[in-house]
Amino acid sequence: MTALAILGVLSSALFSGASLLYATLGETINQRAGIVNLGLEGVLLISGATAVAVTSLTGNPYFGILAAVLAGGLTNIIMAFLVVTRKGNQLASGLALMFFGFGVSALIGRAFVGLRIDGLPRFALPGLANLPPRYSSLFQFDMLIYLAIPAAVFVWWLLFRTRWGLGVRAVGENADTAFAAGRNPNLVKYQALFAGGLLAGLGAAHLTIAYVLNWSEFMTGGRGFIAIALVIFSKWNPIRAIAGALLFSGAVAFQLLLQASGVEISPFLLDTLPYLLTILVLMLWGGSRKYAAPASLGRVYMGTE
Amino acid sequence: MNKKPLYSVMGALMVLALLLAACGTAETPTEAPAEPTTTAQEPVQEEPTAVPPPEEPTEEGPCLIIGALHGGPINDAGYNQAMHESVMAIADNIDCVEIIEAENVPEEAGATTTIENMISEGAGMIIATAFNHQYPALELAGKYPDVIFEHAGGWEMSGNFANFFGEPPEAWYLMGVAAGNMTETDKLGFVAAFPLGWTLTFANAFHLGALSVNPDVETTVSYTFNWGDSAKEADATNALINQGADVITMHVDSPATVISTAETRGAYSVGFQSLHAQEFAPEYWISGTGYTLGDTLTWLTSTVLDGTWEPIFLRCGLWDGCMAMAPFGPRVPQEVQDEVMDVSAVLEAGDLVVFAGPIYDQDGNVVVAEGEVLTPDLMSSVDWLVQGMVGSSQ
Repeated sequence: MTALAILGVLSSALFSGASLLYATLGETINQRAGIVNLGLEGVLLISGATAVAVTSLTGNPYFGILAAVLAGGLTNIIMAFLVVTRKGNQLASGLALMFFGFGVSALIGRAFVGLRIDGLPRFALPGLANLPPRYSSLFQFDMLIYLAIPAAVFVWWLLFRTRWGLGVRAVGENADTAFAAGRNPNLVKYQALFAGGLLAGLGAAHLTIAYVLNWSEFMTGGRGFIAIALVIFSKWNPIRAIAGALLFSGAVAFQLLLQASGVEISPFLLDTLPYLLTILVLMLWGGSRKYAAPASLGRVYMGTE
Repeated sequence: MNKKPLYSVMGALMVLALLLAACGTAETPTEAPAEPTTTAQEPVQEEPTAVPPPEEPTEEGPCLIIGALHGGPINDAGYNQAMHESVMAIADNIDCVEIIEAENVPEEAGATTTIENMISEGAGMIIATAFNHQYPALELAGKYPDVIFEHAGGWEMSGNFANFFGEPPEAWYLMGVAAGNMTETDKLGFVAAFPLGWTLTFANAFHLGALSVNPDVETTVSYTFNWGDSAKEADATNALINQGADVITMHVDSPATVISTAETRGAYSVGFQSLHAQEFAPEYWISGTGYTLGDTLTWLTSTVLDGTWEPIFLRCGLWDGCMAMAPFGPRVPQEVQDEVMDVSAVLEAGDLVVFAGPIYDQDGNVVVAEGEVLTPDLMSSVDWLVQGMVGSSQ
């Protein structure tokens, strides 16, 4: 385990963890409002395809990010319509959205598969740029990675230090009580889902135009579900989500490192390492009241009619 | 006010619209594998707008309709694109042939439905290009004895089922020669999808080629367990580079991500599957190989057309035109290019065989004895890596 290898794990953890973190933050807002969005995978795919399409067509990755963020928000509005206005079952609606996302993203992305896009520019912090190329290229991050942790802090601040966040959490705990206190639960849920969608779109944009730099069908490979698991893993707290995302992507990078260093464990087994780690943490940090889910998570709010 | 009836009507109309749309686009199902329901529900006979014969069936109609199916998207700059271009070459070479193509056909389940759809639209020849299309195609070959089936890369044969493929190992050996010369750290990286026989064979050939010019070289194999998980491929490439590898190559469906990632880290790359891969690495490209089976498929089609088709286990290599080598990248010095071309001439003449014994595996056991040669049919079931390689073979 050379220094390069260990730093490499850290670097990979940040690279692939950033998109996971944004998606987790988005889902945290959704779940704090009481809505489980199982369609996150579909949202990520649609946003990712949009990001690649717009970046490829305009040649400007920033437009791509903008388009992806909006696409994510709008896709989540579809979820909001199904779950809040039509009062559909959240789990079924989410899954339906996921399948919808598979199809729509494939359609949008079809013309752009295999095309090379110019990603976001990467730069290293001043001190790190002077290292030999193999090291300094480890720390060439694009701006979305630098913004990931501040974004988590921002979401924490939003949920726990603003009136709007208080409303979101109140609706997530008990929508009837929130309604009695003067809030409009349906409006709050729409807002929360839109905000969550914006963040998910940002995560997908990072994945496609800053990390992988191309589009292929189903390229998120289950990241949406990992994000949902990480929300629970981080006990619906955005700050702990940072640890969750970094731990998971660090584990993925670590098992690849183990494979590459010739360790005698079957690569199939190593591949399961990140998921085992997630289950382990879920088991250990079980359920105390402090860490419990928002009380109305998954429940459909029937309104006062 | 109860809006439920309105929503119900809207919902029903949307579902109807989707079903009708599915009827009209039967020949290129790009639906996700999770939604096979729409095409499966339509009884095949009822499709009114089935085939788009818009481009004139000539006065006599096409002399042959060929149905081609791919496991992934045809513009992936990788395997599927190479196969797609080979199939399109048939239409370029033989005017009266009409081609129906389906991409993103999920490995087995959708393959059966797709092939049957194509046959019902008049296909007389089916070209199945994904690895896992073999058994569905074989089964249907039994059911439709008048249709000719060709599968890419398999080994089964029957009265109307045969297969064809390029011979990558020699091309890989040449790539190894180039890589062994270009590496400065003496470490090469190989990103693989699964530890399959062919994957190991390619990695072994690559390593043997590198060994022949650089006895200290070490090749590390890393698995992503997915033919196309780009984020995993990016991670695996980074992990290999962090372990010290400065030349990266791969056996996954599309080389795009691996090559772009290597390029951003300043590592050399060697491409595979399709020659388009070079676009992703303008600077650190060494070379690459790709399948160029257009002429072979044209020949096979012509035998079908004049009735002389026979099931043969067709393999052809670099010098038969079935595989091609990409141009060398800007950083490859002339001496290295010359050496690769010299070795190529020696291989072509048959004076050098890639898998000639003695070959030892990672534990030092002899896997190909002195004086013996590993034959192509054994290459697909290889389960060892050559000595000096790092990584698991199972």
